Amino acid sequence: MEPVSRFSPNHTPCGRTRREFLWQVGGGFAGLALVDLLSRDGFFTRNAQAASLKQPHFPAKAKHVVFLFMNGAPSQVDTFDPKPALTKLNGTPYKGDLTVGSNSRPVGYLMQSPFEFKRHGQSGLEISSLFPHTAKFADDICVIRSMHTDTAAHASGCLQMNTGNILIGKPALGSWLSYGLGSENDSLPSFVVMTDPRGGPIGSASNWTAGYMPAAYQGTLFRSTGAPLLDLATPEGVTDREQRKSLDLLARLNREHLAARPGESELAARIESYELAYRMQTTASDVVGIDKETQQTRDMYGLDNKLTADFGRKCLITRRLLEKGVRFVQLYSGGGHIEDTWDGHTDCITNHKLHAGETDQPIAALIADLKRTGLWDETLLVWGGEFGRTPTSEGVGKPGRDHNWYGFSMWLAGAGVKGGQAVGATDDIGFKAVEEPCHVSDFHATILHLMGLDHTRLTYFYSGFNQRLTGVRGNVVKKVLA
Amino acid sequence: MRRFTKGIVCGFLAQAAMAAGVDFARDILPIFEARCHSCHGSKLRMGGFRLDAKAAGLRGGDSGVPSIVPGNSGGSPLYRYVAGLDPKIVMPPAGGRLAPREIELVRAWIDAGAEWPERGGEPGAADPVLQRGVGHWSFQPIRRPAIPGVKNTGWVRNSIDAFVLARLEARGWNPAQPAAPGALMRRMYLDLTGMPPSLGEQDAILKDPSPAALDRLTDALLARPAYGERWGRHWLDVVRYAETNGYERDAIKPNVWRYRDYVIAAFNADKPFDRFMLEQLAGDEIPDSNAETLVATGYYRLGPWDDEPADPAEDRFDQLEDIVSTTSQAFLGLTLGCARCHNHKFEPLLARDYYSMVAVFNGLERPRNGRTELDLPAGTRAELEQLAIRDAKIEPLSKEIEDLRSDFRTAHLKGDGSKLPPAARAAFLTPPAKRTSTDRQLIREHEKTLTEELAAALPEETRAKIANLEARIAAFVRATPDLPRVYTMREPGPKPPPTHLLLRGKAAAPGPEVPPAVPEILSKPDTVVSFESPGSGATSGRRLTLARWLSSPSNPLTARVIVNRVWQFHFGYGLVRTANDFGVMGEKPTHPELLDYLASWFVENGWSVKKLHGLIMSSNTYRMSRHGNAAYAAADPENRLLWRATYGRLEVEAILDSMLAVSGQLNAKMSGPFMYPFVPKAALEGSSDPDKIWRPFDERDASRRTVYAHVKRSMIVPVLEVLDFCDTTRSSARRLNTSVATQALTLFNGDFVNRQAAHFARRIASEAGADPEAQIVHAWRLALSRAPTPAERTDMLSFLKSSKLEEMCRVIFNLNEFVYPD
Repeated sequence: MEPVSRFSPNHTPCGRTRREFLWQVGGGFAGLALVDLLSRDGFFTRNAQAASLKQPHFPAKAKHVVFLFMNGAPSQVDTFDPKPALTKLNGTPYKGDLTVGSNSRPVGYLMQSPFEFKRHGQSGLEISSLFPHTAKFADDICVIRSMHTDTAAHASGCLQMNTGNILIGKPALGSWLSYGLGSENDSLPSFVVMTDPRGGPIGSASNWTAGYMPAAYQGTLFRSTGAPLLDLATPEGVTDREQRKSLDLLARLNREHLAARPGESELAARIESYELAYRMQTTASDVVGIDKETQQTRDMYGLDNKLTADFGRKCLITRRLLEKGVRFVQLYSGGGHIEDTWDGHTDCITNHKLHAGETDQPIAALIADLKRTGLWDETLLVWGGEFGRTPTSEGVGKPGRDHNWYGFSMWLAGAGVKGGQAVGATDDIGFKAVEEPCHVSDFHATILHLMGLDHTRLTYFYSGFNQRLTGVRGNVVKKVLA
Repeated sequence: MRRFTKGIVCGFLAQAAMAAGVDFARDILPIFEARCHSCHGSKLRMGGFRLDAKAAGLRGGDSGVPSIVPGNSGGSPLYRYVAGLDPKIVMPPAGGRLAPREIELVRAWIDAGAEWPERGGEPGAADPVLQRGVGHWSFQPIRRPAIPGVKNTGWVRNSIDAFVLARLEARGWNPAQPAAPGALMRRMYLDLTGMPPSLGEQDAILKDPSPAALDRLTDALLARPAYGERWGRHWLDVVRYAETNGYERDAIKPNVWRYRDYVIAAFNADKPFDRFMLEQLAGDEIPDSNAETLVATGYYRLGPWDDEPADPAEDRFDQLEDIVSTTSQAFLGLTLGCARCHNHKFEPLLARDYYSMVAVFNGLERPRNGRTELDLPAGTRAELEQLAIRDAKIEPLSKEIEDLRSDFRTAHLKGDGSKLPPAARAAFLTPPAKRTSTDRQLIREHEKTLTEELAAALPEETRAKIANLEARIAAFVRATPDLPRVYTMREPGPKPPPTHLLLRGKAAAPGPEVPPAVPEILSKPDTVVSFESPGSGATSGRRLTLARWLSSPSNPLTARVIVNRVWQFHFGYGLVRTANDFGVMGEKPTHPELLDYLASWFVENGWSVKKLHGLIMSSNTYRMSRHGNAAYAAADPENRLLWRATYGRLEVEAILDSMLAVSGQLNAKMSGPFMYPFVPKAALEGSSDPDKIWRPFDERDASRRTVYAHVKRSMIVPVLEVLDFCDTTRSSARRLNTSVATQALTLFNGDFVNRQAAHFARRIASEAGADPEAQIVHAWRLALSRAPTPAERTDMLSFLKSSKLEEMCRVIFNLNEFVYPD
């Protein structure tokens, strides 16, 4: 089938032929049968597996994405965007014309970064002392220093970074990728989200919703301890043997029911979903069973260090999810509100030391581990938050920084990315993106491109038109590409 | 379109046009289409410029400079660019320059006045956008069709059957056999109430399963309150009902549940649909407005709302888009929301139509105090007036109390009576706007102490004064009690702000002013809809005008759209399968005459939804079996010809409510604030406030019907979400129906089902006694409305030898038959 014609709006239902409709939905996880409006001709049951994996628009190296979401918005001038001019101007008032601060919070003076920036690797990419471990992989990292977004509020900022739109209800990047590329493993979700023990991001599940797409494309919350998925565990008081026996009874009765109703593919698909669920119990539990990992691995991820244990565990589980073919894993660093996240309003320095300290070693371990297993060649790493922070302090006398949507840094690394470089630039004080500005939609277009998808062709017909992750915007940042 | 235009031009007009000089349609439009529209059309609009519509073409692009100055080609950038007169910009940028002849035509056309004819006699005759809708079926008037003749007249119980059978006979097909009485009975119960029949009810029907008895059953079921709970929920999907705003605070919409109760009550009372629509759209503007009709207008405020918008001006238009999109989809079946930034890409809907609809709603305001949303008192006009008079009397008294307290507070802080640290006292004395964050911190720390100090130190004389004032206020309140509070928008005056067409949909780029109007494609030259105020003068009356037009004979859509929805919820699919989209991109009706028959019948019968249920459910079409037919299925797998009743999974509410009914746990309490179903702690972990967003589980309360479960936008109850609950951010026409492993996990391992299975087992044991065989029969009849087959009986008996009754109940709740009724 021609990739263009499959998105053409001239078919039914909802602008798609039946076959296309099937193709679109067949890539959900766990053998998703969107039985809605589907044929009764057995087409589905014959093709469910074949349809679950889809071809990208063009060949691409990256098959998986790990989005390391630094929830709360890290400060660019303290992490990946060194600003000597800011040091010179330290303590002086900001004289430019940008509106500083959010929600009429107090505005202080320009504030230098207390963190030292050094050149790393052969490329000499500058990274602050907050990330000694990650810095070892400087030559793999492509920092975009000219990010900008449309909002300085957390809720809409997280929504925009995750779903491409400041308004609630749009499908997340992970949903788009699951929809566009399908799933490599139908006994695991294709889009997995792991939140911080202190809480989820502001906006909660609207950050990993499938919006108007079928629910099977939405991000699935995965817990790093206990039963990883909701309702995965056999109910209390029921033994595994009883569980199997009851499932067998159910299958038997359902098959008898189906036998009297031959050809009803919806009924057949539902019978199959129970078997998949049973297999999922084993697969998903295996992923979080990290006991067999070596002590060396444990040390590398920092599992025995209280500071890094939680994020380390999630990074290790991420590797194991990728090994099983999971398409998109999103890890949140920081959760809840203000200082429990990267939202350093009152003391950005202490805040960033904590959150960088929790994540730096695990992220470096993940990179090293992916390189060891070879997954690095097909995995794209994304690091960053919903926006940046001001070069000024928030109020006087406290080293806090306020929200900044004019300019901030994100980085990409891994499959298809040209590492060891910084793309774009903010102004002298790191406030506003001025060189090669990269809007969030450009960033999304670039991620889709790295995954082999053309953001203008990856569309979903809903509510009267072809919806896109990038809306009517988006340009691939070519410099990022290897 | 192009062929159309050319056809005219090449015909008798051609000569006249030649004589008159350059003709737009003949000479200019083809150039624009071939060389300009791909970048400057409705799709790309490069540089914010489009050349496929007159107004936009003349206006120019992002630069703000008019592109065409009629009569002055030299001053028209369009000509300068194509002629290569501007060193910086040459158009087209690719594919070669225009031919010299073409350039000359453009020049001559502009210099001759840039004549650009937009329309002929018929609406949309010449506008390429409106042209798309010419002749489109849903824009034609509803005409009552003749009842077709059929061969098998014995099958025709009412006119519906004639329409359906005629199509089948044309193919030489026969309709499916009638459904077995037991199956049909269960279908009817689930359809109308969302729960299966009790044992006594089953016995009564099976004793007399005659068609007439089933007609009486329909009426009896329609009279149950459970009917409104089932069908009201369908409407809540259409109007994007949810109980929080979404975004950071995801605040609960105060008293929003009254709207849900209103909808349920409206269905139960069989409120005529035109009235139902009128109350939701203009419940404050109708002459007989009252508390109930004001609750109905809560419709406007059900959507998501960011209380901390990035751009307040843009946010205002986002809210209006929410209203325009929902209203056009819910009542017109049109995707007008897509025309906010440009003319619709597929439909005959102009951006001007969109903003004309915005103008209808532009008077509405969201009552709030900063981020805090406010509700409003609800009552008749007289009641509200009385309340306003009372409040006007109370206000000075309240002010006096406030002054007394405030004076004393200042005196207390300045004097030596306070034990607070001086810095804290100074902070309290600083006007709020001038307080530093340190001040605010001090205030937070010492507020409680200060309140206590003030209470203790208040002089007796002041105390008495305050008590006296408070007593006077109380007397006023006794004489004129408070009114119930409702969550709705309000229109504060008769003159809404002017509405401008926004270029590219941007609030910062207002174009020409647009008056309120109905979409052009639906406007009739002979019946112009006037939006001049017909109302009380308290508001603009525009919404009232719109609502009246919607239910008027000159609007062909609304009646078709609603009867199609009712049909859909009975049969799984509408006669138009895209229930929110009757436009050219929507599906065509499978049975257009039947749809028009139902629409005209519905209007003649007073827009009564219950009568429509009666008509549909008394047809043999409704009463067909779901059994397949391999040959028909091969030719018509989607059952578009209605040769049988289609299988469909129950919506999640009906699944859960059926379990509650079968387990005996259903709490039939109707109405009132929502309840909180059980949500596992693990599911709350994704929230930024995991400890605060959900109430502790109260099983009795949580055993109410699912329509009363709290709908929180940032955390939809997991069992609902996984079982294809609707999108709550937009109008939802129909639930998706997916089958995935996580549903199996939830239904097999989840708390709700296992809890109900345990209750079900206890119920069986207590009602059927200890005999396993009796238990099996009892369970089967309660859950599936039938006795087990001998094979099932044997299988169960052997299962129960080594397994608990509870396990059998869990299996029953997971049966395909339980969620896919025959």
